[in-house]
Amino acid sequence: MADKVKLFVNGQEVEVESGKNLIDAIGAVGIEIPHLCYHPALGADGNCRMCLVGIEDGRPPLVPACKTRAVEGMKVQLDTDKIKKIQRDIMELELINHPTDCPICDQAGECKLQDYYMQYDGQKSRMTVPPVLKAKKMDLGCGVVHDQERCVLCARCVRFTRLITKTGELGIVNRTDYARVNIFPGRPLANRYALNVVDLCPVGAMTSQDFRFKQRAWFLTRSKSLCHGCSKGCNIFIDHNREKYKDDVIYRFRPRLNSQVNGYFICDEGRMTYKLENENRLNVAKSAGADVGINEAIEALRRALSQAKKTVFLISPNCSLEQMHSIQKFAAVCNATLSGYSDGYIKKDDGDDFLIQDDKSANRAGFALLGLDSSKAGFEAATNGADLLVSFQNDISRFLSAAEIEQLQEKMKIAVVGSYVDGFSEKASIALPVASYSEDCGTIINCSNIMQRYEAAVVKNTPALDLIHVVNLLGGEIKNCKEAWADLAVCNAALANIDLEHIPSEGIALTDNEVSNVAA
Amino acid sequence: MQVKVLSARFDIPDAHKIEVAKEHGAYSTLEKVFSMQPEEIIELVKASGLRGRGGAGFPTGLKWSFLPKNIDKPVYLAVNSDESEPATFKDRYILVRDPHMLIEGIIICCYAIKSHAAYIYIRGEYTTQVKALQAAIDEAYAAGYLGDSVAGKDFKLDVTVHRGAGAYVCGEETALLESIEGRKGQPRSKPPFPAVEGLYGCPTIINNVQSIGSLPFILTNGPDAYKAFGTEKSPGTHLFGISGLVKKPGMYELPLGLPILEVIEKVAGGLRDGRTLKGVIPGGSSTPVLTPEEAKTVTLDYESMAAHKTMFGSGGIVILDDTVDMVKLVENLISFYHHESCGQCTPCREGLGWMLKIVKKIIRGEGTTADIDLLVELCDNIEMKTVCVLSAACTMSTRSYLNKFRHEFEAYVKSNASTQTAM
Repeated sequence: MADKVKLFVNGQEVEVESGKNLIDAIGAVGIEIPHLCYHPALGADGNCRMCLVGIEDGRPPLVPACKTRAVEGMKVQLDTDKIKKIQRDIMELELINHPTDCPICDQAGECKLQDYYMQYDGQKSRMTVPPVLKAKKMDLGCGVVHDQERCVLCARCVRFTRLITKTGELGIVNRTDYARVNIFPGRPLANRYALNVVDLCPVGAMTSQDFRFKQRAWFLTRSKSLCHGCSKGCNIFIDHNREKYKDDVIYRFRPRLNSQVNGYFICDEGRMTYKLENENRLNVAKSAGADVGINEAIEALRRALSQAKKTVFLISPNCSLEQMHSIQKFAAVCNATLSGYSDGYIKKDDGDDFLIQDDKSANRAGFALLGLDSSKAGFEAATNGADLLVSFQNDISRFLSAAEIEQLQEKMKIAVVGSYVDGFSEKASIALPVASYSEDCGTIINCSNIMQRYEAAVVKNTPALDLIHVVNLLGGEIKNCKEAWADLAVCNAALANIDLEHIPSEGIALTDNEVSNVAA
Repeated sequence: MQVKVLSARFDIPDAHKIEVAKEHGAYSTLEKVFSMQPEEIIELVKASGLRGRGGAGFPTGLKWSFLPKNIDKPVYLAVNSDESEPATFKDRYILVRDPHMLIEGIIICCYAIKSHAAYIYIRGEYTTQVKALQAAIDEAYAAGYLGDSVAGKDFKLDVTVHRGAGAYVCGEETALLESIEGRKGQPRSKPPFPAVEGLYGCPTIINNVQSIGSLPFILTNGPDAYKAFGTEKSPGTHLFGISGLVKKPGMYELPLGLPILEVIEKVAGGLRDGRTLKGVIPGGSSTPVLTPEEAKTVTLDYESMAAHKTMFGSGGIVILDDTVDMVKLVENLISFYHHESCGQCTPCREGLGWMLKIVKKIIRGEGTTADIDLLVELCDNIEMKTVCVLSAACTMSTRSYLNKFRHEFEAYVKSNASTQTAM
């Protein structure tokens, strides 16, 4: 634990972490100091002046909280008339050249200017002269659209491209009230994290081309989840909404703070994987190539399983631990060979040293924990002489060509239990739609061996069955995710000491022994 | 009234050349300097009472003593020659007419603060000064006063001229450092102060050209000789740039402490015939204006200016007579500070533009009394809420005109026209 110091806020004694700046230290005990330019990931810049606080007997008596460290005995004044007036005055100055176009602004509802106006300002405009006019709807690249008039010049976006991506595409050009954020001519944003500037922007100056004008922020439900775009397991908010007479649709992913995993950010590719949850979903069951009801398809697969001489279960590295475990148990029952072959999910040299990983699957570490083989040799040996291949979420078309799949098809019957229409599910003679991760719960282990849990975010009008339930209907023993949990702890000695029921929101960092499933 | 301390060599032909300067005493004090301990020099400068000539008047020796002791980082000297405050034109005389006095001062200062690298920051447009100074520096290197062994002693010193891109704000010491480092000239938040963390993160002393230029005299003649000029708390002499509506505007070296009206009358030749005094800007555009009544008791020193709620500033005195339209003067003033705002922090960036538009509105005859009140209020709302004091330079002076010449603003509001000629 960090050292604590006692200081006074508005005369009231509070205990805060030492070494932190006043915004973070006092914010941690629930007292807000308004700020626009400060962001914990980008450090203090001190340009917005919204966080000016009084320090009783201080030299100087007025300081920016973002640049001032919490010190024992400090007397911070936030509610004096002087400080309240400063906050009101700064807000007035922030707003004089702001277009106040909230009705057509995407940020409305999650805008710091709106919030602070209501909380700290509230006065009528005294602006009787024409405002400064600047450029609007500028395409800055990477799907970022910029409105210079809404901008408060907090420089968060500029600092992001300098400090985080180190690409430096953005800068503030000109001085005085002609100052504006811009790119260099012909040099647009070109990094794989660019859309984070949309989240970072405290106002509506940076908007996402993809999200613009689709939803009002206040209609969106923010559900916590984990990105399945790669093995990093970045924490996200799934922002979704069920409009009248429509289905529950995801409109965007946003990063959710987890300092152990992704910090404040996610990559653009991962952010855009929300589209996979909405479009191109496997919704209708198939049997013998024709659309059928789910029960009929389950019956067809049961029959195929009972008739097959040699069955192969192909598991996706995107499956949760619980799903893997229930499939593993079921494989033992119906004498199926397991393979986790999924080299196609690995995109060599695609990752970087920040968030993006080569491995585009979310739970490959789960294979190691459960002792699942994912080698090509293992897959070839398993399919050799097999007459039924059941793929659980694994998209073979990522690593086998159409011709190779056809060869496979000639040799054996192919069934898919999956959520998406992909190159493989289209070829399958039996297809069973199941819920995807945004509609299901589970546990995954990321590339750094951090075990994290996610809950269902979206509830469709006609929900698909979850994968464990389908395995159960096919004859598997485990009925649901919770049972799978309990059984996992029993079957895996390495996990016995981990309280699976109470995985903290930051996740649990597993030891090497736990990951390789060796009892301590 | 005029004295020749800093300007001793100004009128000697070719005094900017090293051989002529040396004939008249340049570099003659170095032998004495290197025989002293650095701490002794700091004490001597403290004893002289020399105050920073950039405008704030902070005691120079005291500033040097703020450097952290026993540090393993290099110490830098940055000489501020941005000289961008309107009405200020003193440092250019040193740079053009006696650059070796500055170089000698730099050697003294660097020896005292144990620095081996000095930067002279000059506003980019000042090409004449840059050429003269660079030529003098080249001469000093050739003559062995700069380089690996200064004056044959075991002391290394390099001097680099850094040209700015022409921004008033780069006269602010931390913006100046940012600019030297190659970044946009925007002031840094303080603390940390430059004496602790300045150029390239190292302890840095920033002094005005005239402050450094005063050192050779102090070292040669001793602190008492320097203190013989001026007042007790404002000792020494100052290069005053007198401009505005007087008969003999120009640069004059005067001891501190003289009555301002006497200086205007006797040194600057007084007002033009038939004109009456309307106001005096005592030390550059940012200092609050004095009314003729106030000017009667003002003397040219730091204490008297402070007692009259204005500032000594940079010694740029502007005399305003009855032909000056104070409202248009304020428009000019705000327009300058608005243009020069670095745009970094909110109050200055947004506020000065707003103030300018309001003044323009008043001049157009569209203003109301509420607009005048709003201007006064904005001065309060902006001042001291910012990273640096640029906005305060604008609001302090603007407020003084609004308070002392409010009737002129009201005349615009009421009659929607000025009967006076524009300045």
